[in-house]
Amino acid sequence: MTELLQVLVTMLFFPAGLFLLANAMFYQWIDRKLVARLQDRVGPPWYQPLADTVKLLANEEVLPFGVNKWLFIGLPIIGLAGALTTALYLPIAGLPPAYGFPGDLIVTVYMLSMLTLCLGLAGANTRDRFSMVGATRTLTQLFSYEAPFLLALLGPALAAGSWQLSDIMAYASGNWLLLTQPIGFVVVIIGLMGKLEITPFDAPEAETEIVAGALTEYSGRGLALFRLGQWVELVIGLTMIAAFYLGGIHNPLDYVIKTLFPLLIIAGLQTLMTRLRIDQTVGMWWRYGALLALVQWLLIFLMGGGQ
Amino acid sequence: MTPSTDRKRFTVPIGPQHPALKEPGHFAFDVDGEIVQSASVRLGYAHRGIEKATESRTWVQNLYLLERICGICSHIHATAYCLGVEKLAEVEVPPRAQAIRSLVAELERIHSHLLWLGVAAHEAGFDTLFMYSWRDRETVMDILEALTGNRVHYSANVLGGVKYDVDDKQAATIREGLDFLEERTLHYLEVVTTDGLFLQRTRGIGVMNRDEAEQSGVIGPTGRASGVHRDVRIDSPYTAYAEHPILPVYESTGDLLARFIVRLREQLASFEYIRMLLDHLPNSPLTTRMPRRVKEGEAISRVEAPRGELFYFIKSNGGDMPERIHVRTPTLCNIASVAQLVIGQHLADVPMILVGIDPCFSCNDRTSVISQDGQRDLWTWDRLRQYGINHYGTHYSKDIHR
Repeated sequence: MTELLQVLVTMLFFPAGLFLLANAMFYQWIDRKLVARLQDRVGPPWYQPLADTVKLLANEEVLPFGVNKWLFIGLPIIGLAGALTTALYLPIAGLPPAYGFPGDLIVTVYMLSMLTLCLGLAGANTRDRFSMVGATRTLTQLFSYEAPFLLALLGPALAAGSWQLSDIMAYASGNWLLLTQPIGFVVVIIGLMGKLEITPFDAPEAETEIVAGALTEYSGRGLALFRLGQWVELVIGLTMIAAFYLGGIHNPLDYVIKTLFPLLIIAGLQTLMTRLRIDQTVGMWWRYGALLALVQWLLIFLMGGGQ
Repeated sequence: MTPSTDRKRFTVPIGPQHPALKEPGHFAFDVDGEIVQSASVRLGYAHRGIEKATESRTWVQNLYLLERICGICSHIHATAYCLGVEKLAEVEVPPRAQAIRSLVAELERIHSHLLWLGVAAHEAGFDTLFMYSWRDRETVMDILEALTGNRVHYSANVLGGVKYDVDDKQAATIREGLDFLEERTLHYLEVVTTDGLFLQRTRGIGVMNRDEAEQSGVIGPTGRASGVHRDVRIDSPYTAYAEHPILPVYESTGDLLARFIVRLREQLASFEYIRMLLDHLPNSPLTTRMPRRVKEGEAISRVEAPRGELFYFIKSNGGDMPERIHVRTPTLCNIASVAQLVIGQHLADVPMILVGIDPCFSCNDRTSVISQDGQRDLWTWDRLRQYGINHYGTHYSKDIHR
């Protein structure tokens, strides 16, 4: 009985459920506020993401003509569930991960990709032209950043000699991998920006060309869930960066400081850059991103990190 | 709704309601993947019937109506109208009024170009530049407000002169604002010419060489970016431009980058010009007497609006109302070039190319029927109504079935 209760709490409240959602909204607000201040705007009040979500959940969900109903309703749920599940293997709020098994790093990364995949499918599912173009771009972008992103995340795994998140984190808490693997750190940060489709990698949802990209036909609950999923991904990505590259996470205060640091970098980069065309994005990732990640691997091997 | 049988055609519609355009216009782009194959333009969503409305208003009332053709270049519309009517009425406007007209026109150009810079940056996804340039635009809006009391429709012109004078205190405020804006404009010029990511989106995109520009009749900064040496302020000077010529700005590469550079350098030229005007404001009354009825005749007046040549045709039958006023705004000359420029470009570059001509749709919509055999053709209200029903009826049913 207590075991069941524990599982339920893990799933619904901490770390995967409500806590993560609240965390995601808060970080989303910080990102928006930072970008706004950097752009000399006022920015939203702290409850804005929550208000947006509540409003969207209360809105009518319009089912457009010509879509597969089950896919249309199911994809946002699967996407958000995928993003939430990853929290089970990560030290959210500085507490030890709830679960773990050898190879959970790969599972985590692919759970994160599920949201993007769902986004692409959701776009392709509707008949809207903007959605179709958006879906094509989303999936194209997935294939461009995913490999370098994964390669860069495997850098710490190689150094630690394990593909289990808790092992890598144990190894990383002794060493600041930011100092020994700086190239990997850069690739991961930029990869996360690609994953979250924020400037300069926002071609899949470039509003001046294709309105809202794959999400153009979504309204109400579906849109809210997709948005929440993306915000959760931001938190998960930041947690992974902090745990891997910034000397591990030991307590809640550590967690806040170390996840806000990469968020600051992301907000800064977001402010400075122009949107890239999708062909430029792909070219950049395969020409430089993948190469940099491989150089990092080579360096790890040369320095004898691979055990 | 049946699936399209023509699999090669995938049309991306932009407008009449689309985030890229803040005004209604419709563009249909046939794309193959991300590359645009063909494009078509459709206008007429914001036809307001202003030309017709002028015929039932007095000369003075029309000044206020025509100023509202455009919310961005309002002063230049009023100036063009005043110049035309004054020519018809054979009224000589005092030199100080002429100078103030030029002064406000250049301030307006600055605000219009800064607005454009922000919009164009936003189309490229560079929101920081958008926010910064619009913040700085507030400076010139404040100057205009201090000068005339209004931020948008300054209403500085009256027939036969201007309403507002510039005193020393205002001149000092203007100079102070210009110093700030000049510093910012130089900074933006540096940003658009050196920022690597932004250059990727502008350099070599939407290139129109001089011959193409001449052929498609492109005017204003868009034409000047392609090396078309055409500027009404220089070719056919009006108001203060005859006595104090303004420095022309030309570029030759004809790509989006050149359109950015031309507009930013035009701002710099405007700063210089305003400073010079403030130094040399002639002493004279602001207005002269204007008759209520304007002599019979026809007049053409041309001025350089921020977007290019603005053309007014004014016909009077000797009464207190005009017989006919025809307006041709610069966007109409430039907009057709978009359909040619986008072919072969990426879909992602389309909004930037579109905005590169600085389109202004509501000013643009006009109905003209040209009969080739010289016969008079009368369109009654019923005929117009029937025409509308047929036109939209076929369009909408086609859209639904596609």
